Amino acid sequence: MPNDAPRESLAEKRLLKALSEGDPNALGQIYEIYGERIFRFTYRFLGNRTDAEDATAETFLRVLRRSAELRADGAFKTWLFRIARNLCIDKLRQHKLLELPPDTPLEGSEERTTLRVTVHAALNQLPQEYQDPLVLCDLEDLSAQEAANILEISVPALKSRLYRGRKALRDKLGSLMEGT
Amino acid sequence: MYAGRELSPDLDEELEMAAFNDAELSHEMSTLRQTVDLLKNDPGPEFTEESYQRVLMKIYARGGNIEPRAATPIHMQYQLPMQG
Repeated sequence: MPNDAPRESLAEKRLLKALSEGDPNALGQIYEIYGERIFRFTYRFLGNRTDAEDATAETFLRVLRRSAELRADGAFKTWLFRIARNLCIDKLRQHKLLELPPDTPLEGSEERTTLRVTVHAALNQLPQEYQDPLVLCDLEDLSAQEAANILEISVPALKSRLYRGRKALRDKLGSLMEGT
Repeated sequence: MYAGRELSPDLDEELEMAAFNDAELSHEMSTLRQTVDLLKNDPGPEFTEESYQRVLMKIYARGGNIEPRAATPIHMQYQLPMQG
């Protein structure tokens, strides 16, 4: 596993301090750093661009509203993802989005697109406790420690769910794995 | 358990050696690694310029005070000489 301790650069620490002191430029810079990752993460959860943009915006608004809670202890990234995840869960409860998005990207060969669609369909059918670690660790490349912090579970529990999630996804993909 | 290649090279090699003589373990490792590779090779949705701007607009509309490091606006990019 990569180094599990979340680290923030000195520059980012200064940025967070500025944000907690009400500096409007600071939020913009944090958006520059994390905007794309949060968008991608929320899109994977919610399945469409409009909801992902909405959830991304709301995530950064919450960061702003709760900036007084910010601590320069290396936990900002996990806190940010946790906010985004909780927003997505609320949205899913509201909309019960279970289908693939109509704007699923169609770049690349037809075969690759079909494969991507199949993988995402299988992923979306898994229980949330399996989807979470797969999205965080395998799709968004967060460390086990970071993912565990976001989900507020222990690292061993995270690794266990990750393993079971990978197996479950593998089993769902079934013949696709056998054929390659 | 370590289908995402989380082990150190030494431990990974030990696992490979164990799997060499165990067809079931070998199959399990192979299929799990393929599954993880499928996920890791997924490029993900593109954060287009339009999405970037729409998110900013939503933040503004909901009262967020945000000043991203945007490129210089077009109308300020060129300085025309003053000619009297």
